[in-house]
Amino acid sequence: MTVVFSKENLKLSGDLQAITGENVMLCYQCKKCTLGCPSAYAMRMKPHELMRAAQLGLAEEIYWSGTIWICLSCETCNTRCPQDINILRIIDGLREMSKEFEYYNPYPAIPALHRIFMAFVKRFGKVYELGLALLINLRMLTPFKDIDMASPMLLKGKLKPLPHRSHGAKELRRVMARIRALEGAK
Amino acid sequence: MRYAYFPGCSLSSSGYDYHLSLKYVTQALGIDLVEVKDWVCCGASSAHATSHLLSIALPVLNLSHAEKDGFDKLIAPCLACLSRFKAANVELEHDANLKKKIHQVFDYRYRGKVKVYHPLEVFLEMGIEKIREKIRKKLMGLKVACYYGCVLTRPPKVCRFDNVEDPQSMDSIVRTLGAETIDWSFKTECCGVSMTLTRSDMVLKLSNDILREAKEAGANAITVACPLCQANLDGRQRQIEETYKTRYGIPILYFTQLMGLAFGAYPKEVGIQKLMTSPREVLGSLGLM
Repeated sequence: MTVVFSKENLKLSGDLQAITGENVMLCYQCKKCTLGCPSAYAMRMKPHELMRAAQLGLAEEIYWSGTIWICLSCETCNTRCPQDINILRIIDGLREMSKEFEYYNPYPAIPALHRIFMAFVKRFGKVYELGLALLINLRMLTPFKDIDMASPMLLKGKLKPLPHRSHGAKELRRVMARIRALEGAK
Repeated sequence: MRYAYFPGCSLSSSGYDYHLSLKYVTQALGIDLVEVKDWVCCGASSAHATSHLLSIALPVLNLSHAEKDGFDKLIAPCLACLSRFKAANVELEHDANLKKKIHQVFDYRYRGKVKVYHPLEVFLEMGIEKIREKIRKKLMGLKVACYYGCVLTRPPKVCRFDNVEDPQSMDSIVRTLGAETIDWSFKTECCGVSMTLTRSDMVLKLSNDILREAKEAGANAITVACPLCQANLDGRQRQIEETYKTRYGIPILYFTQLMGLAFGAYPKEVGIQKLMTSPREVLGSLGLM
């Protein structure tokens, strides 16, 4: 692919540095991140390629590849990077930025799971595992997925049929509202 | 010794056996666990994928409760919670801007005085001798692969615990119990848990790699230190066997369950009956159950 480099291309790396404090330009493509990454085999754009794309400002290519959603947040790349770049923080920055514009996402179920997860946390103060599994399975149009695993877990009491509510949920909602106000203000 | 105890969402449902065994073991060792008042979810992988500030605020909310109640030490047995808590403490220490924002969000000013521990760290700090004194039944004949999971030691700047690529803490405890620990290279590989509901195919592949390596290295049991690793390796073991047309039958025990058994607990007291892959065959043949 040919990339014509202009000032505009620097926007992505600049935005990322503002959000995460990390400088993608430090990457010199040693590929240690990709070699250690447990999910690289499932990524269309490997971690070191993502770093290069971020340097070149190829935001669309990054989002289209879906790599930021395939990352498992296992912290291996951060640990091994010789330039001490916090790659997961950059991926999280890209995930945060993804809320602000529309793009094609090959794996829409993964951010959907995060949203459902946080909705349960907001409502109950805790995660409701069974509800989370049911809702995401409906969202993926596979309502009976993992039923072979869930039913013995229910029988053994490893999955609770009903959600638990934390007494701290109210305080949590107040904190979440303040964060939204603070983030909206910037 | 008194510790604030943050069980987290998993230990109150799918990881209840971890909770039971941890309670048993800490009681035997004279450690007092006091549950954090009104605790809420740490946000796990979902909070930091949506908002960085939120991912720090959720642990701070819980840490503040512990600090207000006069605790300076907190135990988080689940690795997802542990890593979020440790990250919150470290980031607040180093990032003045973030600290300012956190103070805007909370009425209470968290001073960062609560140190966060995994049970393994606590037990090692007490000393192996203390554990040895409590052993009533040596776990002879058990060959254990200790699986540490992804974020117990990573990243070292945040975790400040054990060797990052080849940790030894669980091995030394399990060896003290009389079992043999095996050398293997998948101690800190990721089991893929954040994708367990959305990309189960990846979880099956990653967990299969871990089980296969442990089996090939000669293990007849795996010990874990996280309820999420346990749910994948144990709960999905049958699916993995079906997908990869193989048979493992390796029981996945919490290291606290092994400690409990060695301390003379009845299997039920440490939640052995809740395991999906029954350890009865392995433990029974060795006369441990």
